[in-house]
Formats: sequence, structure tokens, C-alpha cells
Amino acid sequence: MKKKITIALAGNANVGKSVIFNNLTGLHQHIGNWPGKTVERAEGTLQHGGYTIDVMDLPGIYSLSTFSMEEMISREYIAKGKPNVVINVVDATTLERNLFFTLQLLELERPMIIVLNQMDLVKKKGISIDIEKLQKFLGVPIIPVIATQGVGIHELVDESIKLVKGGYKKPKKIRYGKEVENEIEKILKTLDGIKLDYSKRFIAIKLLEGDEEIKKMIESIDPKIIRIAERSAKKIQSIHGHARPTILACERYKVSNDIVKECMTFETTKATFSDKLHEITIHGVWGYLIMISLVLSLFYLIFNFGNFFSDILINAFTGMTPAFEKIFGIGIVSKLIFGVIEGLVAGITIILPYIIPFYIILGLLEDSGYLSRIAFLMDNFMHKIGLHGKAFIPLMLGYGCNVPACLGCRIMETQRERLIAIFVTTLIPCAAVTTVVLGLVGKYVGLSWALLLYIVNFMIIFVLGRIAFKVLPGEPTELIMEMNSYKIPHLKTVLKQAWFRIKDFVYIAFPLIIACSFLINLLYVTSLSTSIENLMKPITIGWLGLPAFSGIALLAGIPRKELTLIILAAHGGTSNFAAILNPIQMIVFCLVMMLYIPCVATVAALVKEIGWKKSLFITMFEVVFAILVGGIAFRILSLF
Amino acid sequence: MPVKTISLIDLKEGQKGIVVSVLGGYGVIQRLSDMGLTPGTEFEILRKGRLCPVEISIRGSKLVIGCGIATKILVKAKK
Repeated sequence: MKKKITIALAGNANVGKSVIFNNLTGLHQHIGNWPGKTVERAEGTLQHGGYTIDVMDLPGIYSLSTFSMEEMISREYIAKGKPNVVINVVDATTLERNLFFTLQLLELERPMIIVLNQMDLVKKKGISIDIEKLQKFLGVPIIPVIATQGVGIHELVDESIKLVKGGYKKPKKIRYGKEVENEIEKILKTLDGIKLDYSKRFIAIKLLEGDEEIKKMIESIDPKIIRIAERSAKKIQSIHGHARPTILACERYKVSNDIVKECMTFETTKATFSDKLHEITIHGVWGYLIMISLVLSLFYLIFNFGNFFSDILINAFTGMTPAFEKIFGIGIVSKLIFGVIEGLVAGITIILPYIIPFYIILGLLEDSGYLSRIAFLMDNFMHKIGLHGKAFIPLMLGYGCNVPACLGCRIMETQRERLIAIFVTTLIPCAAVTTVVLGLVGKYVGLSWALLLYIVNFMIIFVLGRIAFKVLPGEPTELIMEMNSYKIPHLKTVLKQAWFRIKDFVYIAFPLIIACSFLINLLYVTSLSTSIENLMKPITIGWLGLPAFSGIALLAGIPRKELTLIILAAHGGTSNFAAILNPIQMIVFCLVMMLYIPCVATVAALVKEIGWKKSLFITMFEVVFAILVGGIAFRILSLF
Repeated sequence: MPVKTISLIDLKEGQKGIVVSVLGGYGVIQRLSDMGLTPGTEFEILRKGRLCPVEISIRGSKLVIGCGIATKILVKAKK
């Protein structure tokens, strides 16, 4: 039987972890969520030298504190999941900052290998690293790697197996300053005889830092330990004279700085192409111009591609209709089956031509580093709606399609920011909504009115975003972001990630879209639609001032918003909308449609990201809010 | 004579400074020190967006810091 081992990849963001993960696991991977969390969990397997190796790609983080969910999940996984080897991926070009994290991983005292990645860039930047010396300092094996070219990956796997075979020897301990070590020693003594998942040294250090989670854990075992640790912390604080969380950070950075001074030499080099590109793309004038033209052309490209592709799919589908009717007849059952197929086609025509390209583009922007530049340029503006620069990308994507926008909100760091961004995203009118607004208000009332609707929508986003910012609990975080150098994105990794991430979404979205489409066809077949129209009358006629048949049209928009227009025409008996709706009704109808419910695919994306409870809350809120706003708009417009 | 402590945001592009301390919640302090902004560390202001955010170079890497936080980072200007 094959022996099984587990390795975990840990490291800062943007160090090439996912490229290494992809090199290791190929197509044998699964990207999902950590149970109950909005944090991505990427797992894969490979076979090597008689071993089945499970690889876990932990989220990119800068520390093992409790700043983000990612940090907590990572440290818990390493301590409790006990992977056989922890592989710390390090960006060799920013060694000092990366080693800060390495030192924390070492505190966990698990078998470890360090991967020095981006060795090709090291040379370009005129840096040389004495790997042997570095290995001596850190006491764990170091493997130089160029992940994008696959260099060093084989050695990495061999070294991992060697480490597992050889049995684990505790690495040489890294020592911090004397005062701190004395206090760590004191706390360690109190931990004698207590069994814990984490290493004792890690616990002692975290108690000194005042880590809330660890404190809670130890408090339940023996509150006396906390008192001793608090005394130690006070003592060091009075010596250092700085805020508590910075004390250990200072110590670690001191060690890291010493190591870098010993092992690394710099030569000043000419500005590289990447540096020049950075200068232009972040420029106060050029940066904005480049950003706007890039974003617009990407949108243009995706839509042309999407429309083209989507048309082919829909034509193929309609071409099949007569054949279908021949087989199943034109009875009730056939209509119901047709509903299912329609749902399936709707799903395919959204996901293939629109969502996948959007997702790939997001991946490319992120991987190349351009996302950080956009975040820099848009930070001030985004602050006005209670978010920071990073949120601009998902919001912008939302104007294309809300689904990748929702899924893209993961780039926000804390749960709080993620939730605000996701909420705001669902209010953004996507391309399908734009089609309806232009086809109805734009065509029959006037383009300026359509534009006004967009302005009103934006104002609503602005206000609701601010309210969510105020109401949601937690410490608001501002932009603190690493500006990584430009890289040529690793296309294979981006494509694979897009695919594996969407796979997970498809499992939620397809059943929902198909069920929705089936239900709406069921309403027709059983002529329940009239009774539903009647049921909705108090809202449609009474509050919104719309004709009764608009009720079913609004419902039909749930699986796909373009359908509202088609159903409106079918029920009104004409596609000349001026004959069935007056201008005020058109405006109110569009306003409600813009806000009332994220389409079912977006609801699926919401569920994947924030779970059923919050998704239902957001959905319900938006339905009520849309009806409220629609009714108010109707009354205001009727005054003129 | 002691150099006056000012806010990071008061430095000009290209100016160098040394971190003195950070005002704010433990979350922000933790995050900043994790990213390398510990007291006593030298940095350089690389760029300021129209006022902010600020791009700085610190410990061999580049960081972008939002307006609100940048005003809460106390520094000494380096001559």
C-alpha cells in the first residue's frame, strides 16, 4: 500500500504559492471553502516515489496573529491538522519581510522546508543570497526555486519525503532578545505538563503578545498562567516602551534584519522594465488614463466575445425546439421538461461566455500585480462608500456580471470588508439589467432618463454602502497593502484556478437556475400565473402603479433579468411597450428591476461566499427595499 | 535637540523618516508591525496619490497605506 503524507504550503501573499501548488498537483485539485468560513481552501494530491502526497495550499498571509480569518485558519491547521511537512514559500526578493513570517512558522515547531522562490528575479534585481549561510541561521532545509519555470519543484518533493523518512528533529531554536527570552522562559515553566496542540514556545509568545484566542484557550485550562503572562508582558512593555503587539514584531524583525545583513548583498541596478511600468501605471494622470482605457477595452472584449458565444448557444438551442416538440409533443409534460432544459441553457449561456472570461481577467489582473495599482488609484474614491481601493475591481466587474464580482470580493481581507463589498456588488446593475433599462426606458422614454436611473442607483449604492459601513460590527480596516512588483502572470495557474473555483460555484448555481426556470414554467402550465398576478396586485397596481401583468414579468427576472422584457412583451401582447406602459410605469418598473433581487446565479454566488442565512437576508432586504423605492418613485413622478 | 514627531502624511515624496509609534487599535498596530512598520524602522516616501494613499518603501518591500492610517503613524523626518 502506498504511504500517505500531507504537506502544507504557507507564505505571504504574491510569493508564487499557487504556482507551486499547481506545479505539484496538476489537475488533481479541489478549491472550496474552509467549513463555515469565507476562506478559500485549495487541496490537491500527487504521487511520488511510492507516496501519495496531499498538498494543502494555505491562504497567503503576513503573520500568524488574529488579524484575519486566514491567519487563524492557517495556524490552526498547522497545529491541529499536523501536516507532515510545512513548506514555507518565500519571495527571495523581499527576504526581510518574508523571514518575519518564517520566524513565526518556526515558533510552531513543525517539520519545515523553506522554498526560496523567484530566484530569477533575484539576479535581475542585483541581489545575491548565500543560501548555505541562510540554512545555518534558520536550521531547516532551503530549496531555491523558480516556480514559473518549474525549476526546483522536483527537489522540493524529494526533500519533503526525505524529511518525513528521516524523522523529525526539532530545528535549532531562534532566540530573540534577552529580556523577552527571560519572560518566555517564565511562561514556559507554567505550561509544564499541559498538553496542547500548539508548541509551548508558540503559546508562550502569543500570551506575551496578548493574542485573544490563545488567551481564551489557556484561561480555560489555568487562569493563573494568564496572570503570570500579563505580568511578563507589562514588564517588557515598560522596558520597550511600545504598544504590546509591536514588541514581538520588533524582536522578530531584528532577527530577520540581522540574517538579511549576513546573507544578502545588494548591487544597485538600473530600473527594470517592471519598475518603469509601475511608474507609469501609478502616475497621477497617466495611471488613470491607462486604467480607464484598459478597463473599457476589457469590458468591450468580454461582451463581444460573450454575445457572440451566447448567441451561438441560444441559436443552437432554438434550432432544436421543433425536433423537441416532435418527440415530446406540445403537452404539459413537454412544457415542463422544456423548462428544465431552458434553465440548463440559461445557466450555460451565462457561465461559459461571461462568468469564465470575467474570472480569468480578474485572475490575470491579480496575478500580474495590476490590481494593486488600481487599488492605489481608486482608494480615495472608494473610501466614500465605506470601502477601500481593493474593492473597486469587484464593483467594476459587477457592471458586467454580478456573479464573478461577488466571487471576486474575496480579495478583501477581513470578513467585514468582504461582506460590505458583496452587499454593494449585488446592487450594481449588470449587463442584463442594462439591456432591459435601455430597451425600455432608453428606447421609449429617453436616454437621459435611463442615465438618471443609473445615477439614482449609484446614489443608493453610496448611501447603503455607508450605512453598512456604520452598522456592521468590527474594526474598520483601511488599505494596508503590499505593492508587489509586476510579474508576467502564470497563465496555466490562472486558468486552472478560474476553472476549479467556478466548478464549485456551478454545483450551487445550476440546480437553482434550473429549479427556478422549472417553477416559472409550472406557473404557466397550471395557469397559476393569473392567480399569482392577482396575489401581487396590491403591490404591483396598488403600491407601484404598474399593470397587473408586470408581476409575472418581475418574477421571470429572477432566473435571468433579460427575461423580464420578453415576458412583458408576451403578456402585454405586443413588443411595442409604449402601447402597454406609460413612461412613469416604465421608469418605476426598471427601478424596481434594478434593485429587487440579485438574479438566481448571483444568489448562488452569495450562498457560496457568505452562507444561506446572510444571503437570504440580503435578498429579502433588497426585495423589500426595491418595492419601497419603486412606490416612492411612482408617487414623486406622478406629481409632475 | 530632539527632532519633532510628525505624522507620516506630512512627509513629502522622496523624504525619508523613522517610525516612532502608531496610534490606533491593536488590530491596526498589529497589522502594520507585521508588515514591517515597527518603531525605529527607516522608510522612504515613494509616492503620494492626490494627498493619499501613500506608497512607502520599507524593509526592502513597498507598502501602500490608506489616508486615515497614514495620519496615525507618527514618525521623525530624517535629514
